[in-house]
Parts: sequence; structure tokens; C-alpha cells
Amino acid sequence: MLDPDPFAANRARLVVALSRTAGGDRSALREVYDLTAGKLFGICLRICRDREAAEDVLQDVYLKIWNRAGRFDAGRASPITWLSAIARNASIDWVRANATSGTAGAPELTDWQSAATSEELGAFETLEAAQTRKRLERCLDQLGPQQGGAIRAAFLEGFTHRELAARLSVPLGTMKSLVRRGLLHLRECLGDA
Amino acid sequence: MRNGLTPEQDATAAELALGVLEGEERAEAQRLCLADPAFAAAVEDWRLQLGVLHETVADEPPPSGVWSAIDARLEMANSAETVSKLRFWRRSAWASSAVAAALAAALLFPGTPDVRTVVLPPAQSAIAQLNGEAGAILAASYTPQAGQLQIRPVDLPDSKLSPELWLIPADGVPRSLGLIGTTGTTKIDVPLALRAYLTDGAVLAVSLERAETAPHKAPTSTPIAVGKISTI
Repeated sequence: MLDPDPFAANRARLVVALSRTAGGDRSALREVYDLTAGKLFGICLRICRDREAAEDVLQDVYLKIWNRAGRFDAGRASPITWLSAIARNASIDWVRANATSGTAGAPELTDWQSAATSEELGAFETLEAAQTRKRLERCLDQLGPQQGGAIRAAFLEGFTHRELAARLSVPLGTMKSLVRRGLLHLRECLGDA
Repeated sequence: MRNGLTPEQDATAAELALGVLEGEERAEAQRLCLADPAFAAAVEDWRLQLGVLHETVADEPPPSGVWSAIDARLEMANSAETVSKLRFWRRSAWASSAVAAALAAALLFPGTPDVRTVVLPPAQSAIAQLNGEAGAILAASYTPQAGQLQIRPVDLPDSKLSPELWLIPADGVPRSLGLIGTTGTTKIDVPLALRAYLTDGAVLAVSLERAETAPHKAPTSTPIAVGKISTI
């Protein structure tokens, strides 16, 4: 029989480490770092697209975690979702502050659909969370590679409407309505399930 | 799915959570966040919902130097907390462009502190500097013993409207602390019910409002300055 929640211990360890971090315990922050740095660095790197910058941002991310651990509420968000949001926001800040004009040299959109490790359970994921994620991914997949891919890229790579339009070579207005209709579809799709 | 929002409003909440909005559209959505708790809740719902996608990002081990740098910065914080806090906040004051951006960042989620916080000499126990895109600057301090908040505009735009001070705790709902003077120090006796909110991370914001009808239930305009409270 399958273990219904193989990563429960992982998650519990992270939640405990976060709460000890909130109490000012530096060894606890180290534990949070050891458990999550790979994931958060992946997020920073994906958005910053610059290794050195991503390393700087990652430093700031853990200092933010140090300062904000007390605000983590395990009842509202999974610890890894909470931490990932900090990494994403810090990375987007860096990109916005250091934005080079235009999109010269910018890589194409990542093909998240095929890159997604969707069938595997994340290192801290509950089965329930994985089901939620798979449902969202299914809804995104229904949108097709362009529309679903744009929404994935916006979230995972921090692109704005304008950047998405440039990368997909479509007019800004088209991009806006593409994303908007996509989100309305997601809303329906997630609401139905 | 969401209380009281039309599908269109909810889609706007999703756009803000997704991070695709820019400029005026973004500012407008952020203003909605301030004015409408249901909208703010929808944005946070979407953030959590979309947040599960992070599971699909591949892990990438950071180089070992990163932890040493973090450790060194914590050490610094330990030995000179005030100085390091200042440095930290400055470093993270990267994208301190739009007031609205700052607000949303502070309010929505474990967002980005592009709200500037400046730590002053430790005479008061909570302080905040409020900044705005158009150059508005205000300095605030709070003495918990007296329950008194003092705020002084350093620079305010000219306006026929009057500055109204808002306290915005973690729930994101602005509470009016009343009108403040355009010059000199205004002393505000903070209502007992609101004192508990004057803690680290809560946000003070100033918007321009009609004096005749103040205090208001909610701000009607984009704040001209915002700042995060730091206890010292």
C-alpha cells in the first residue's frame, strides 16, 4: 500500500524549523536553508536569469525569512508555498529594478508543459496539495501551449503582459485578452472540480 | 467562488496575483486591494492557488558561499542590529517606485518589502518613515506607553484635500487614524482597539481626503506615502 503522505515528516520538520527561526534561533534558519535552498534558488534563477544576481537575491530571501518567520501561518499556506512566494517576489523585485530595456537577448518562453515534473510528489507536498496542483495543471493544459504556457511563464518566470507579448510575438492587446480569457477559464475549471 | 466579486473582478485579482499587470493597470488593481477586502482576499487566494506551480520548478543547489554570506549578515545583525537593518532595508528597497507597489507588497502576501523603513535613534519604540512616488515624506513615531503616535510631514504635495493617516495591519484593511496637519507634528491618541496593530510589519499610509467627512471608513484615493513600522 502506498504511503498516503510520504513527505509528512519533511514538512513537519520544516514547519518546526520555521517556528524556531521565528524565535531567533540561527541554527533553525540553517535547517530551513538546508531543506529549501535548492528549491528557492531554482525559483530565483528562473526569474533573475542571472546566476550572480540569483545568489544575491537568495541571500536576501533568507534574511527576509529570518525576519518574517513569525508571520508564517501553517493553517493558511504550506511552508514551501510561503517560502516560494518570498523567493518569487524578491526575484521579481530584482528584475524590475534591473530591467534592461527591451527584450534583447531574452530567451524564449520555457516549455513548462513538458518541463513539469507533474507526476512526482514534491519534497514537501501532501497528496492533497499534489491533487490541487494536478488539477490546476490539467486546467492549464486545457488552454493549450500558448495560453497555458503564457500563464505558467508569467507566474514562474515573472513576465508581465508586455514581456509575454514580446516573447510570443503577438500584439500587447492580444496578449492581455489571451491571459485574461485564460484566467477566466481557470476560474471556471477550478470552480467546477 | 469568491464572495461578492464578478468573474471580471476576480480575473483582475488573478492578473495582479499572476504579476502580469504594469503601470496604471497595476496601480488600479492595487488600489482596489486597499479599498475592497474581498478583492484583496481574492488576490491572495489566487497567489496561493498559483503558488502550487512552484513545485514544477527544478531544484538547483546554490553554491556554498551563499550560506556563509547569509550567516555573516546575520552576525552583523546580531552585533549591530540597527545598522544592519538599515542596510538590509536599503538593499531591498530596490523597486521602490510606485507607492501602490509598495503597499501591495506590504499587504498581500509575504510580499516584497519595497516599502522603505528607516531606523532612527532608539528614543522611540516604534518608528516609520513614509515615502511616496511624488516625493511625499513623513516621519512617524509611536510610544506604546502613552498610546500616542506622532507624525510630521517633511514634504507633502500641495492639495486642497487633507492628509488622512491609515493604519494597515496584516489583514490589509486600512483603519483611519484621522486627519493630520500638513505642517508640524500631529499627535494622535491611538484608540485602544487599534494599539495592538502598531507592531513590526504593519503599514502606515497617508491619502488625501475631503476634510469635511473625515475620518473615513476607507481611503478613496491612492496613498501618497506609505511606510512600514519597525519596533526598535
